[in-house]
Amino acid sequence: MSTPLKIESRLEGKDAAVLSLAGELDVANVAQAREAALKLLAGGVKRLVVDLSNLEYIDSSGLGMLIGLHKRQKESGGTLAIAGARERVMRVLKITGLEQILILYDDAGAALKEVP
Amino acid sequence: MDRSAGQVELKIPRRAEFVRLARMTACAMAAQLDFTYDVMKDVELAVGEACTNAVEHVKKADCDEILVRFTIDGERLAVEVVDRGEGFDRAAAEQEEEERIGGLGLLVIEQVMDEVDIQCDPQTGTCVRMIKYRARS
Repeated sequence: MSTPLKIESRLEGKDAAVLSLAGELDVANVAQAREAALKLLAGGVKRLVVDLSNLEYIDSSGLGMLIGLHKRQKESGGTLAIAGARERVMRVLKITGLEQILILYDDAGAALKEVP
Repeated sequence: MDRSAGQVELKIPRRAEFVRLARMTACAMAAQLDFTYDVMKDVELAVGEACTNAVEHVKKADCDEILVRFTIDGERLAVEVVDRGEGFDRAAAEQEEEERIGGLGLLVIEQVMDEVDIQCDPQTGTCVRMIKYRARS
């Protein structure tokens, strides 16, 4: 029984990318999402936007991935933005306090415009 | 509907791909008590986190199963997530950061459920017991 997760990515300009995660992100598939993100960073992406606008569920494994990417980007001089988190995902971000740590935007377009 | 009592036990392999089955069962059991959608999803989240802890933190090789016991008792849903591992080291889990954050999972459980009790024993394993009351939802 695999957890449904659709992963898509697109490059934006020379150093930005949007990684879109749709469905459910949990312990069963977080490795795939992490691998997709790290592949983008290894390819030279400095500004990474993770689009969660179609993500319906996230658990602590998914949160761990986001925090890991956030730290990695911070240490390397890049940036990570989280875009479009819906109500349920936002609730998890809030109750864990990560809302205060991660950089959140309403949508990927806004994140791409504003993230340095 | 008679909400007086009812129990469902689910045994799943201690593998990540089966956590979702426990989550789905949690939703179904929460629906029996007419929890609101948000509360139902909170219960799903808590059960998922408890099972994820069992998958991620138990190192005992012969612990290959997780028991999830749902009990509807009057106006509440009680859930027990039991593994036969060596016991869950909460302090160690809370120190883990970045890619694996066991402490976050426990924080989530405590935030969304009304009562949480975690019993760890090196001989018998770990039991995460949590309760959600209908009246408080």
